[in-house]
Amino acid sequence: MTALLFAGVAVGAALSAGVLTAAVFDAAVGATVARTAGGPRGVLLTPLRRAAVVAVQRRTTTERPDARAWALAPALLLGLAAVMLTVVPVAPGVAVADVPHGVVLFGAAAATVLIPVFLQGWSPNSAFPLLGGYRMFAQGLSSMIPFALVLIAAALPAESLAIGDIVASQQGLWNVVRTPLGLPVYLATAPALAFWQPFSGPAGSDLAGGVELEASGPHLLAWRCAQYGVLVGMSAVGAAVFLGGWAGPALPGPVWVVLKTLFLVFVLVVARHLVARVRMERFVVGAWVVLLPAALADVFITGWWLL
Amino acid sequence: MTSWAVDSAFAVFAVAAVVTGFLVFRTDSMVRASFWLLASFVNVGLILVLLNARFLGFSVVLMMAGEMSVMAIFMVMLMMNPAGLNPMTMVHQHRASVAAGVTAFLALAGVGIVVDFPDDPARQDPAQVTAELGVEELGDSMLVFQTAGAALLATMIGGIAVTSRRGRYGTADEGSVPPPLDPPDAESAL
Repeated sequence: MTALLFAGVAVGAALSAGVLTAAVFDAAVGATVARTAGGPRGVLLTPLRRAAVVAVQRRTTTERPDARAWALAPALLLGLAAVMLTVVPVAPGVAVADVPHGVVLFGAAAATVLIPVFLQGWSPNSAFPLLGGYRMFAQGLSSMIPFALVLIAAALPAESLAIGDIVASQQGLWNVVRTPLGLPVYLATAPALAFWQPFSGPAGSDLAGGVELEASGPHLLAWRCAQYGVLVGMSAVGAAVFLGGWAGPALPGPVWVVLKTLFLVFVLVVARHLVARVRMERFVVGAWVVLLPAALADVFITGWWLL
Repeated sequence: MTSWAVDSAFAVFAVAAVVTGFLVFRTDSMVRASFWLLASFVNVGLILVLLNARFLGFSVVLMMAGEMSVMAIFMVMLMMNPAGLNPMTMVHQHRASVAAGVTAFLALAGVGIVVDFPDDPARQDPAQVTAELGVEELGDSMLVFQTAGAALLATMIGGIAVTSRRGRYGTADEGSVPPPLDPPDAESAL
C-alpha cells in the first residue's frame, strides 16, 4: 500500500514538474521567436498567468453534448501521460513500473491517446471539433506503426522489451547512433500522436481550434496540461530509448535522465514555434510512404548490424 | 502481489469486462458502442496481465485502441447517421439474437461446468508464458504466420504507395488541373 502511494506521488510530482517546465519552455521559446520583452520573470510567470485566466473562464457548453464522454477525455489523456512516465527508468532497476515489457506498455498508452482526442472532438456535438477528431484518427493511425517499429528496433540490441534493459544495452553506444533512423522517425511520429505542432491538424487553427474549440474553463486547462504531459512522457521514453537514459559523465544518473528528457521537450517546443503546420494529406502520405519504410529499414539495419 | 490482491483485481476486471460488453448493445450510438467494446477489451487485456501474459495483455490494449478507432470511423462512414451522435438502436433481429445469445451462454456455461480445468499457477517468468502460449496457439505454423504478417504489411505499404497522391485531377500535391473538355487524341495520348 505504501509502495502504491509512493508510486502515485512520484508520478504525480514528475508529471506536474514536467508539464510546468514544458509550459515555461513554450513561453520562453515563443517570447524569443517573437522578440517580445518580458525577461526571465515574465517567462516564468506567463504559463501560470495563462493557466489562471483559462481556469477562471466561464464554462461554455454546446447543444446536447455527450457530457460524460467529454469530461472523460482530458482525464483519460492525463492518465495516459502518467502511464507513459511510470515506465521511465531513472537509474538501473529504478522505475515506478519496472515491468519486463515496458516498451509495449508505453506503446499501448501512446496508441490509446487517439481515443481521448477523438472523444474530445466527438462529444461536444459540434462540427469543427468532430473534424479534428477524424483528423486525429487519420494522423494517429498513420503514425502509429512507424512509431512502434522504431521502438522495437531499439529493443532489438537489448534482446528485451524492458526499458531498463534497453537503456543498459546503450552504455557503450547510444541508440541514436546505433539505430540512426530511430530518433528522427520517433521525433516525427511522437508529436503527431501528441497532436503537437507541426502536426497539430486535429487541434489546428484552420479548424478554429479543432478538438479544443468548444472546451473552456478548467476543462480546457486540464486538456492543455494533459497534452503537455503526453509530450513530456514521450520525450522521457525517447530519452531513455534513444539517448542512453541515465548514462553520462560526472552528473548522477537521474540528473541525466531529466536533462535528456528536457532536451527532447525543448526540441519539440522549438519545432512548435518554427515549423509550419503540415497539411493532413501530406502528413498521411509522408507517414505511409516515407516514415513507415524508414522505420522498417531501421529494423532491418539494426537486425543486420546485430547479425 | 499477494493472492487476495490478484483475486480482487481479477474480479473487478472480469465484472468490468462483462458490464462494458453488455453496454455495447445497450447504448444508442455507433461511436459509444465502439468505445464500450474497447473498454471491455482493455479489461480482458488487464486480466491477461494478471495471468502473467503481460506482452499479450499490453498488446491487446495496443491493438484494440487502433482497431476500435478504425471500426468507429467505418461504422460512421457506412451509416446514414452523421458522426453517430443521433440516437439509433444497436440491435436487430431480436428473436434470432436472443435465441443465439441464450444458446451460446448455455453452451459456454456447460463447458465451464463440465470441463475439468487445470489449476496450475501461472509461471513466474512472463516471457515463458508468452512463449508457451505462442507454441500452444500456432505450433509448427509459427513461421507461416510470421511470413503472412510480413506479407500483409508489405501489401499495405504497397497498396498505399500505389494509391496515394492521386487527387481527382492528378497528384494532389503538385496542383491539380481539371481535365480538358476535349478528350486528347488517341495518337497524342500514345
